[in-house]
Amino acid sequence: MGLLSGMFMGIIFGFALMAGWFHMMRYRSSKRVAKAVDIKLLGSLSRDDLRKICGDNFPEWISFPVFEQVKWLNKQLSKLWPYVAEAATFVIRESVEPLLEEYRPPGITSLKFSKLSLGTVAPKIEGIRVQSLNKGQITMDIDFRWGGDPSIILAVQAAMVASLPIQLKDLQVFTVVRVIFQLSEEIPCISAVVVALLSEPKPRIDYTLKAVGGSLTAIPGLSDMIDDTVNTIVSDMLQWPHRIVVPISGIGVDTSELELKPQGKLTVTVVKANDLKNMEMIGKSDPYVVVFIRPLFKVKTKTIDNNLNPIWNQTFELIAEDKETQALVIEVFDKDITQDKKLGVAKLPLIELEAENSKEVQLRLLPSLDMLKVKDKKDRGTITLQVLYHKFNKEEQNAALDEEKKMLEERKKLREAGVIGSTMDALDGAASLVGSGVGMVGTGIIAGAGVMGAGAGIVGGGLSKAGKFMGRTLTGKSSSKKNANANPNASATPSMKSVLENNHTP
Amino acid sequence: MPFVSTLMGFTGFGVGVSAGLMIGYYFFIYFQPTDVEDPVIRPLVEQDSKTLQDLLPEIPFWVKNPDYDRIDWLNKFLEYMWPYLDKAICKTAISIAKPIIAEEIPKYKINSVEFETFTLGSLPPTFQGMKVYVTDEHELIMEPSMKWAGNPNVKLGVKAFGLKATIQVVDLQIFTVPRITLKPLVPNFPCFSKIYMSLMEKPHVDFGLKLFGADLMAIPGLYRFVQELIKDQVSSMYLWPRTLEVPILDPNQAMQRPVGILHVKVLKAMKLRKKDLLGGSDPYCKLKLTESKLPSKKTTVKHRNLNPEWNEEFNMVVKNPNTQALEILVYDWEQVGKHDKMGMNVVPLRELKPEEKTVLTLDLLKNMNTEDAQNDKSRGQLEVELTYKAFKEEDMAKDEGSSEVVKAPDGTPANGGMLVIKVHEALDVEGKYHTNPYARIIFRGEEKKTKYVKKNRDPRWEEEFHFVLDEAPINDRIHVEVVSTSSRIGLLHPKETLGYVDINLADVVSNKRINEKYHLIDSKNGRIQIELQWRTSS
Repeated sequence: MGLLSGMFMGIIFGFALMAGWFHMMRYRSSKRVAKAVDIKLLGSLSRDDLRKICGDNFPEWISFPVFEQVKWLNKQLSKLWPYVAEAATFVIRESVEPLLEEYRPPGITSLKFSKLSLGTVAPKIEGIRVQSLNKGQITMDIDFRWGGDPSIILAVQAAMVASLPIQLKDLQVFTVVRVIFQLSEEIPCISAVVVALLSEPKPRIDYTLKAVGGSLTAIPGLSDMIDDTVNTIVSDMLQWPHRIVVPISGIGVDTSELELKPQGKLTVTVVKANDLKNMEMIGKSDPYVVVFIRPLFKVKTKTIDNNLNPIWNQTFELIAEDKETQALVIEVFDKDITQDKKLGVAKLPLIELEAENSKEVQLRLLPSLDMLKVKDKKDRGTITLQVLYHKFNKEEQNAALDEEKKMLEERKKLREAGVIGSTMDALDGAASLVGSGVGMVGTGIIAGAGVMGAGAGIVGGGLSKAGKFMGRTLTGKSSSKKNANANPNASATPSMKSVLENNHTP
Repeated sequence: MPFVSTLMGFTGFGVGVSAGLMIGYYFFIYFQPTDVEDPVIRPLVEQDSKTLQDLLPEIPFWVKNPDYDRIDWLNKFLEYMWPYLDKAICKTAISIAKPIIAEEIPKYKINSVEFETFTLGSLPPTFQGMKVYVTDEHELIMEPSMKWAGNPNVKLGVKAFGLKATIQVVDLQIFTVPRITLKPLVPNFPCFSKIYMSLMEKPHVDFGLKLFGADLMAIPGLYRFVQELIKDQVSSMYLWPRTLEVPILDPNQAMQRPVGILHVKVLKAMKLRKKDLLGGSDPYCKLKLTESKLPSKKTTVKHRNLNPEWNEEFNMVVKNPNTQALEILVYDWEQVGKHDKMGMNVVPLRELKPEEKTVLTLDLLKNMNTEDAQNDKSRGQLEVELTYKAFKEEDMAKDEGSSEVVKAPDGTPANGGMLVIKVHEALDVEGKYHTNPYARIIFRGEEKKTKYVKKNRDPRWEEEFHFVLDEAPINDRIHVEVVSTSSRIGLLHPKETLGYVDINLADVVSNKRINEKYHLIDSKNGRIQIELQWRTSS
């Protein structure tokens, strides 16, 4: 009897103990999960959430801009800046100078930084936005502003001429830098970083050039040409969809997916233009048209003399890399003995076109693409085009890629052989200068610098070369800086590396 | 027989309890699923005010405190990256743990230990605010508030004596406020040489530990005990002022301090190629260390000589013998125009044995590119003698940590010491006619000056001055004045005072070190940062 009742009591006791334990487990587990949920919820609060929590006592120091403010980062950056500036100066000097030497145009015997310091004003990060546009990629947009006081003086030495110092002043860079992180399942979880400047809002890089103890205004139009060159370079090298790809975890990373690739083909027929502006004193304008998507691949029509309503009916094929953001640019020029004058420009965003559907469009010509700078609202006539967009399949894409590579190589060879020289007209010069630089994008950290330097064609004359060096420094700095940011440990000087690889063993 | 009955009762109770426990175990625990489910997260807007009230204690710092910054972008970044991070961390952890387990288990007669599941769950850590402190020292201080309430699931299967046990860790929660200090700052990427980590308060740790599927942490009292144990363990190691130090850069390299000296003796060159049209070449050598900012050294020019003998000696300061290299270029001197390069070569310093004389005969090359066909041509040879001498440890100055006060050098009077004045920088100084500021320090009639900075309202000098004194300057003051000189000579306003400050030295003597920003007198908003140290011999 005792045994049975004892057993019975025991079973109940044991069972109750277990039930109690189980209850405890459930209670604690649910508490933990609830807490995890709370933390998760509070991890990203929106304005509405906060309003609901705080009610009327909404703290006034909180705001929710599109680009999140990073005051703490700016505080740290300004504290760190003197050290960054010094470290970067050395890296820039070591890596850009050999490039300057390599790319210095004929007629100049030496080209060096005589002074390079990044100044005391730290760049400011206005805001950061993080989004995931594609699976496996994180897109980070950094609103970057630098109105610095760098002191950059280049010593230019031409044959038999003493060193001519040229200074770059009042540098201002306003741009949104897009950094795309390609994720992977290996530590450090990022296989490659893509850096580009966002095209919308347009990057702004302002500076003034000054010849120390002289004046650059002696040559009219020089500063415009330099601006044009810089803009072309920035928009064809760094500005989205163009990008710089930096692989992070050395081995076996396939970055080809991230590189810019031909996406489609645009067949453009330049049909005719109407009511063009007359630019000549005697007779009428001699118009021709330049069309391009990337400034690297410009094509032009034949010139029709003495006609304000010319009919060309010429067909070109252009490669498009990114239909969403790229645009076809049409420029009409007046052929002249001296410098060709621009009659007007027009822009056709590719996103407006339907694939495989031929379409005739008529566009109004404008004095400039930048509407802020347009002063006269006078009519400059219209241009009529026939456009057809064709999307590539895989084979066509590879074929187009190969062809593009071949073309760039040929141009590079030509340039090296000295065929493309300063005698070129402006258009071909521009193309060749960009082309020669782009060949290096994959290899050189400071490819941008190289591109700028190669621009022998556009600016003629001895002094005018100053502009190029300026631009060169500019892009050189910005791109190498970015690299430094992306991978600070790998900032060993490239020149040193090459030296060590080829060392002489006694 | 009441005695037997009671005994039987107890025996029955004992058997019953174990039976009850077994039944209860099977009933409540064994048949329950052991995997961790993703918690259901409802948007905050849908919740009622009561749940919101419960939420309030966990509200992030950036909502409550204006001095904390929101870092949602980092949270978002982590959220997108978390699935990849999770897999990468788990993979790495398993690959590290496997060999260790394999080595350890034979000692305990365990057959096998295997990870059945290993995942960190779907919830990433979140940062609930970031605070930074700006001090006058050369350091960056950050205080992120990190909360990780995750749903990881780590299940370990242990087989021993024919039995199999599972140990499972679930619902790990760690809340902590680390302070991250980056210092000292150096002019070399990544611009700091050490990371110091320290916890500002005891971390909150919570988790579930399941043995055979039953949560041990649910036993009343046990959880609190374990939690306290962990907290005490961690805080005894990393709770402020204890710190975890992670060196990033070698201090010598970071500060770019010289570590040795290279003696170079350029002996002679043989069979140089002719460059000039008339007569021979006029060769001279240029020596330079890579990564060095110092100007290159040159030998004399040997006129009209293709086999010149120099026998000239040079000393060069080496900062990093592992990466630096000696660059030797032979040039042809010209009266007019550019000097032609006759050839070059490079000797990496790591190939030299320290303290040993090495005579090298170098082939001169056009450039250091091995693929260049032009290098096959003979350009002559150069003979040099190299000796690398590393500084001995005791020769090198001791690490001058910015916060530690170094002892005064030998030879200072017993009662006295050395007063060190570091003039760091000035802010917002402005002259009426020109702003080319330099600092003037007057102490007991002795005057010292810094270099002047051209056209700058926020000059940085970073200069150090020493005064050796017989006794502590308790009743003394030091006068620091910021002066601007005109960059032009002989004009109306050759000099201008931008402001001054008098500092009482008694505080310096008692504190040993003071680093502060002083407001300048006779200046609108000007400030100057001065560090004072009193170094005694004892």
